[in-house]
Amino acid sequence: MTSSSAPPRKTLSKIACNRLQKELVEWQVNPPLGFKHKVTDNLQRWVIEVIGAEGTLYADETYQLQVDFPEHYPMEAPQVIFIPPAPLHPHIYSNGHICLDILYDSWSPAMTVSSVCISILSMLSSSTVKQRPEDNDRYVKNCKNGRSPKETRWWFHDDKI
Amino acid sequence: MGNKIGKRRQAVEEKYTRPQGLYLHRDIDHRKLRKLILDCKLAPCYPGNDECIPNKEECPICFLYYPSLNRSRCCLKGICTECFLQMKPPHSTRPTQCPYCKTPNYAVEYRGERTREERGLEQIEEQKVIEAQIRVRHQEIQDEQERMKKRQEIRSSEVEHNDNINTSPSVSSQAYLEQEFGFVSSQSLSTIPVDTRSLIRRSREDHFDMDLEDLMIMEAIWLSIQEQDTHGNRSSPRLQDCRSAAKDSPPQGLACTVAALAERQLASHSNALATERPTVDRHPSEYKAWLNACEGSSTSVPPTDDGECSIDNCSEVAEAGTSYAGSDIAFDMARAVSLRDGVNMASGHLLPESFEEQMMLAMSVSLAEARARSSPQGVTWM
Repeated sequence: MTSSSAPPRKTLSKIACNRLQKELVEWQVNPPLGFKHKVTDNLQRWVIEVIGAEGTLYADETYQLQVDFPEHYPMEAPQVIFIPPAPLHPHIYSNGHICLDILYDSWSPAMTVSSVCISILSMLSSSTVKQRPEDNDRYVKNCKNGRSPKETRWWFHDDKI
Repeated sequence: MGNKIGKRRQAVEEKYTRPQGLYLHRDIDHRKLRKLILDCKLAPCYPGNDECIPNKEECPICFLYYPSLNRSRCCLKGICTECFLQMKPPHSTRPTQCPYCKTPNYAVEYRGERTREERGLEQIEEQKVIEAQIRVRHQEIQDEQERMKKRQEIRSSEVEHNDNINTSPSVSSQAYLEQEFGFVSSQSLSTIPVDTRSLIRRSREDHFDMDLEDLMIMEAIWLSIQEQDTHGNRSSPRLQDCRSAAKDSPPQGLACTVAALAERQLASHSNALATERPTVDRHPSEYKAWLNACEGSSTSVPPTDDGECSIDNCSEVAEAGTSYAGSDIAFDMARAVSLRDGVNMASGHLLPESFEEQMMLAMSVSLAEARARSSPQGVTWM
């Protein structure tokens, strides 16, 4: 159960709720290309289908992103992971954790679910090789207790992908 | 710092010198905050509004509307005072980054409510984003055409193999479209697939679901709408209303009208081929695509009547626009642009019947627009 670790315990703050509702409306009117939001009644956890872009290694492959929002969203970053099977990518671990700076240190409250999705798709699209990160097994083993990727001390070393 | 010319100093009501409780602020120096607000260094803490009201600005962090926002010094993006206080923890030792452009040592200034010029500059910036998107879209269309060509080559070699679900006779979409729209460059139209299923699929998945021409038309139409709206009646983006209006005709706004018309046309063309097409199913999603386009092209007119935007300012704004990380553009586009409802013209006012007429309308509008842009003086419409 590393992938679908329990949603953040605290419920959304009023401001988080309000913003997410607006983001959802915006998404419905203008969804980012290549993504489908799976309709649920849970505003705090979104499940989003990602379709690999044409002409990339992931063309026509479909994956699922799980986005959990913390109480103090957007001041705090959402937790974004792939629901396994996660795409084979040098920055995506087999448990679905994604090594992408904007999800952690570089998160800004000006970002939205939509902009995060586009960044993830862009990360997929620029990949030249389908493989797991070198430290995949070690990392996944360390996360066995269902640790959130937000607790990981990420080291962002590659700015190419 | 001295007094800034043009700073509109006005008494701020006492109750707006305190946070309105948007966040549970910790460690706020209320006296300092009050002083900053009274000195017009920070925007008053007006309660944010859920709905867009004319001339209000949306804070890109909390998505609420305010009469005025603070501006970041680095990129001039707006932020409401309460969100700003969240960005800058008072006891943090690390320098705060601008949430928009990541410039270190984030600082804001308050310039009162936006003037017309400022709004115009913002529109220029948004225009640049739109133009970039159109360029990207153009590229996509070209790629798509190449794919289509390849697919057609394959298809023509296996004409016999007909799909059961598809009731349409297997006609090459290229041939069909050339026949129907012979007068328009078949090049761009060939991107509209005739296959019903793919039409439906495309309209759900595709961001725009329309080719460049359509996009330009919508932009041109939007320009004219916006021009009528010059007096700044900015109100809530009633997209849903608009959408339902399109379903239960007659639609209200011009954009709706044109969109619905084009939609109907498309529908009837497809009907000619596929007899059992689920027309109704397709409407909302396809309309949505039109709406996207309306939205995407909605902010385009720099207010030429002021004619005062200095080149320095322009380039500054432009830089801010480009330095904005790619991933944020979608956000920016989506949020910054909103449908105005100054659109309410009598629906009988302009009803181009055919595609040709629509093209003519669009061309005349864009011509007028081009003329307006090239002349430094005021724009005259109609």
